Amino acid sequence: MKSRKALTFWCTILGIIVVMTIFAGFLSSYEPNDMNLDEVYTSPGESHLLGTDHLGRDVFSRLLEGGKVTLTVASISVLVSLVIGVLYGGISGYVGGIVDTVMMRFLEALITIPSLIIILAFQAFMQGGMWSMALIIGVTGWLVTARIVRSEFIRLKDAEFVKMAIMFGTPMWRIIFGHMLRNSIPAIFVVTLFNFAGAIFIEVSLSFLGIGVPPAIPSWGNMLYYAQNDILIGAWWIGVFPGIMIFITILAINFIGEALKDPERRRLDA
Amino acid sequence: MTVKWIGKRMMMGIIVLFIVSFLSFFIMHAAPGDPAAAFYGGNAQTLNAAEKERISRVFSLDRPVIAQYGTWLAETMKGNLGVSYKEGRPVSTILMERLPNTLLLFGVTLFFIIIGSIWLGTTAGMKAGSLWDKGLSTASIVTSSIPAFWLGILFISFFAVKLGFLPSSGTGDIGGEGGFTDKLRYLLMPATVIVLTHVGIYARFLQESIKAESRNYYVTVARANGVAEQVIRKGILRNASIPYLNYIGMTIPSFVGGSIIVESLFSWSGLGQLTVKAVVTKDFPLLMGGILLTGLIVVLSLFVIDLITYSLNPRLRKGDVR
Repeated sequence: MKSRKALTFWCTILGIIVVMTIFAGFLSSYEPNDMNLDEVYTSPGESHLLGTDHLGRDVFSRLLEGGKVTLTVASISVLVSLVIGVLYGGISGYVGGIVDTVMMRFLEALITIPSLIIILAFQAFMQGGMWSMALIIGVTGWLVTARIVRSEFIRLKDAEFVKMAIMFGTPMWRIIFGHMLRNSIPAIFVVTLFNFAGAIFIEVSLSFLGIGVPPAIPSWGNMLYYAQNDILIGAWWIGVFPGIMIFITILAINFIGEALKDPERRRLDA
Repeated sequence: MTVKWIGKRMMMGIIVLFIVSFLSFFIMHAAPGDPAAAFYGGNAQTLNAAEKERISRVFSLDRPVIAQYGTWLAETMKGNLGVSYKEGRPVSTILMERLPNTLLLFGVTLFFIIIGSIWLGTTAGMKAGSLWDKGLSTASIVTSSIPAFWLGILFISFFAVKLGFLPSSGTGDIGGEGGFTDKLRYLLMPATVIVLTHVGIYARFLQESIKAESRNYYVTVARANGVAEQVIRKGILRNASIPYLNYIGMTIPSFVGGSIIVESLFSWSGLGQLTVKAVVTKDFPLLMGGILLTGLIVVLSLFVIDLITYSLNPRLRKGDVR
C-alpha cells in the first residue's frame, strides 16, 4: 500500500517535469537563446525567475528547453538499446546451445568495457548533433537489457503455457511475440527505466565535459559546463538549478523503478 | 583445478583487451578525413595529390586495414604506443606520468567505499525492519541519483570559493614541494565526492544480500540448535559477501567511467582527464593509449576480485567451474 502511494507520487513528479519541458515554449517568457548583454548574471528575481547566465540568457527558459533536449536524447537512446537488447537477448535465449554460449561470452566481454570510454572515442570524431549522440548512447547501452531478455526467455521456454502452445502447433513467431516477449514486458520495462536514468547520466556528463550535445543547443549538461566558471565568481544559480532538475528526474525514475521491481521480487521468492 | 580456473579467467581478460584494442583502433580508423591531411592541420589545402600519396606511403596508410592493425598491435605489445600529436612525446611516457595519480584516486575511493559499505550494509542488514534498514534503502537511492560532478561543483563553490580552505582543482601546489600532505589536500574533494555518491548503493546491495541470506533455512536451524549469535553472523556475512563481490566486479567499469568525469572536473591529472583532453584536442594516439590503459586497469581489477571470490567460495574451489 505504502509503495503504491510512493509510486503515484514519483510518477506525478516525473510527469510534471516531462510536461513542463514539452510545453517549454508556452511556459517561458524568454527565448532560450536570446542574449541580453545588459542583464548579465542577474540573480534570481522578478524579471528573471531563476536569473540569467554569462550572456544574459534566461536560466528558467533554458532549463525547460534543455530538459527537452536531455530527455529526448535519453528517450531515443533507450529505444535504440531496447531494440538491440531485445533482439540480441531474444535470439540468444531462444536458440540456446552453442549460439547462446558464444553470444553470452561476447556480451560478458563487452560489459567489462566502460561504456563511457567507447562513447568518448566515438565523440572524438563524430561530434555531431544530438541525434548522433542519442544513437551512440543507445548502441552502447543495450547489454543489461539483452541479459534480462535472455534470462526471461530461458525461463519462459520451460513454462507450461509455452510448452502447451508448442504442442498445439502455434506458429513460432506467435510464441515468440505473443507468449514470450509479452510475458517479459514487466522485467524489460524495469530495466529500460533504469537504462533511461543511465542515459540521462551519460548525456549530462558528456555535455558537461564539453564533448556532448553541441554548445548551441541548451541541455542540462551544457548548462553545467558553463556553470563551472560562473560558480567561481559566485553566480550559483546557473549551476544549481540544472543540477536539481537532473537530480529530481533521476531520483523519480529510480524510485519508480524500485517500486515496480519489488512486487517482481516477491513473486520470484514465492 | 585452481590452475584451470585462473587460466579460464585470464583468457577472458585477454579477449576483453583484444576487443578493446580492436575497438580503439577501428574507431580511429573510421574517423572521417584523411589522416595525412590531418597531420598537416591548417596547411592541408596546400598539399597536392602526389604529396598526399607520398605522405600516405611514408606512414604506411596505403596498406590494408588488417595489416595496419597487426603492425599496430605488435608495436603496442612492445610498449610503443606512438607519439602524441599535441605534446610530441611518446604516449607511453605521458601515460606513465598520469598512472600513479589515477591509481591513487581509484585505490583510495574504492577502499573507503568498500569499508564504508560493509559497515553500513552489515549494520542495516542484520537489523531487518529497523530504522537503519529502511533509512539506508532510501538514502542509497537518493545519493546514487546525485550526479557526482554536480556534487563536485557544489563542493568547489562551498569549500574552495566560499570558505577557501581547500584547493578547487589540480594535483598539487605549483610552487610547493609536492609532498604527500600537499597531495592529500587536493585528493580530499574528488575522493569525497566519489565516495559519497557510490557508498550508498554498494551498502544497499550488501544489506539486501545479508537479508536474503538470513532468511535461509540453515540460519534458523543453527539458531534453534543454539549456535552462538556471533558464529551465525560470521556465516551469514561470509555467504553474503560473494554476491557483494560479484556486484563490485560488475560495477567497476561504470565506476571507472564515473571517475573520469570527476577527474576532469577537479583537473586531477590522471588518465581520465588525459583521455577527455585527448578527445577534445583530437589527439588520437594519446586517446588510443588512454583507452587501452583504462581497459587494462579494469581487467586487472576484475581479475583481483575474481581471485578474492575464488578464495571465499568453496563451491568454486571444489571444481564447480562454470
